[in-house]
Amino acid sequence: MTAVSERPATEAASVDESVSGPKKRRHVDIGTVLISIWGVLGLLFLFFPVLVIVAYSFNTGRQLQSWQGFGFTSYVNAFNNPTIVSTIYVSIYVAFFTAIVSAILGSLAGVAMARSGRAWWIPAFTALLGLVLVTPEIVNAVSLLPWFVDLGTTWNLPIFSIGVVRLIVAHSLFACAVVTFIVRARMAGMSASLEEAAADLGAPPIRRFLDITFPLMRPAVISGALLSFTLSLDNTVISSFVSVAGSTPWPVYVFSSLRSSLRPEIAAVSTLMLLLTLAVLGLVAFVLLRAQKRVGGDAPGLASTLAGGN
Amino acid sequence: MTADVGVAPLRRTGKRRWRWNVGMLALPVGAWLVFFFIVPFGLIAWYSFGDKPSLYQTHSNEILSLDRYFDALDPTFLAIFGRTLNIAVTGTVICLLVAFPIAYWMAVKLPARFQGLVLGLVLVPYWTNFLVRTIGWRITLSPESFLADISRNLGFGTPDWLYTSGAVQLGVVYNYLPLMILPLYVALERLDHRLLEASRDLGASAGESFRRVTVPLSLPGIGAGLLLVFVPLMGDYITPAVLGGASGSMVGQMVASQFQTAQNWALGSAMAIVLMLAIALAVIVFGLIFKVIGALIARSERVTVLDDGVAEGRTA
Repeated sequence: MTAVSERPATEAASVDESVSGPKKRRHVDIGTVLISIWGVLGLLFLFFPVLVIVAYSFNTGRQLQSWQGFGFTSYVNAFNNPTIVSTIYVSIYVAFFTAIVSAILGSLAGVAMARSGRAWWIPAFTALLGLVLVTPEIVNAVSLLPWFVDLGTTWNLPIFSIGVVRLIVAHSLFACAVVTFIVRARMAGMSASLEEAAADLGAPPIRRFLDITFPLMRPAVISGALLSFTLSLDNTVISSFVSVAGSTPWPVYVFSSLRSSLRPEIAAVSTLMLLLTLAVLGLVAFVLLRAQKRVGGDAPGLASTLAGGN
Repeated sequence: MTADVGVAPLRRTGKRRWRWNVGMLALPVGAWLVFFFIVPFGLIAWYSFGDKPSLYQTHSNEILSLDRYFDALDPTFLAIFGRTLNIAVTGTVICLLVAFPIAYWMAVKLPARFQGLVLGLVLVPYWTNFLVRTIGWRITLSPESFLADISRNLGFGTPDWLYTSGAVQLGVVYNYLPLMILPLYVALERLDHRLLEASRDLGASAGESFRRVTVPLSLPGIGAGLLLVFVPLMGDYITPAVLGGASGSMVGQMVASQFQTAQNWALGSAMAIVLMLAIALAVIVFGLIFKVIGALIARSERVTVLDDGVAEGRTA
């Protein structure tokens, strides 16, 4: 998907619309009204449970679902609970390193794919990444658990018995594929002529990469890393299989507390986590939009990037 | 082709057997994914041919057999599998029906300056933690919630919505709806709006131009959306665990319980492989049907001509 080549079509369409718009929209047709109502209701539906969680985080009762009164006790209680604080710490720690690992690996692969033309391995590699993206998480989870156990015991690699290492490796798989696709999309939209010029002028590969290629792909790398951060922060299924006692990440703590009883602290921390995710995503949107303004681009490009697609 | 292929040979005269190639940058990810994605999958495929020899062992491959597959396909598993398939297919279809008007509204009806904002609004719930969103529904559907209060005040009594397959159905439609909206939006946004106006100017009714222009041209987006919703939905494990209770359980939970509670890795592996194969089969069958439908529409509605026109307009 090249953002640049699409621009004229979009622009032409919007210009066209603004010319013919006033003439056609003299009477508002019933279909447009209905579809707009449907769209707004759809957005409300999407926001509904999120708003419920935020609202119930101010519940002063002992049980999350039965409302007692408004207050900030749950926030205070959450931060006085050492277990909760440690799970938040594990989550953020793992998310940070997942972002670094995936950004490095994914960027390399993204450049390789964008700059290899029609090499023989591209279809197979794309299929592998696609498989990583579409495999149900539960299958990933149940296959990683025995593998980590095996690596730790039979292969005598105790590093894979460490909880956070397992989590970082497990989270990085999906994130690597996402970063690869984002970086590839970015680099495919750039002509290789700058790099070729540098090569013709005698710059060695490493110099070419640092001076030309990396600055070009930087927005994609940054947004890929930030997306990996949020993906890791959200991961529940794989984490609940591979995590070890003592390094439980936040979502796994929430999932296991479903079996006993849900307390308002859970909604409180979830609200804070949501704010963190939104801040990170806002940063992603900012980085991508600023980069796209320079080279041209549009909302759908951003959408497909954020949706983790290609 | 790139500089590395064109220039490097001039300088490095054939002394080395292999020369540096930008494609090699893909090796680390390739190795990473093979080691932590392909190999583990191979491992559970291997375990699925073994058995659970004793109470204290999770698996053994001393004796190889297909028995675990027969164990996996027992009536309980098949019943839950059937329910999962039912929820997944129904959920995917409902997602499509709900999402298409939303995506159409966003892409065609909304002024361009609001599109980014609304897109952001769709993405916010999508990026909220999956588990937390589902808990939001659990609160709402529980007998102590404000909706239950309203129901009681209206004289309908205390509802028991939670722990039903209806709750799971609602939960999965909700959870996967953004994955349907986004590809549809991308497809509809790329659709050249002038084609719609042209079809209207040429005398097609609104319904007709929708059927003969909009739908055929958004088929790739529809296909992507169906795939993005159906595949993860089949393996969903969180939604039924939060909303389903005993009467709404799905296959993902069965697989998980073999690994987490029963500690029978051989059987769990066989179940996971069956699930994967079933999903792959469903996707292939569905893909073929989709291709046939696309071809039929293209033939009967003569949009092939239109399609070529679009393609040329794009690449020019």
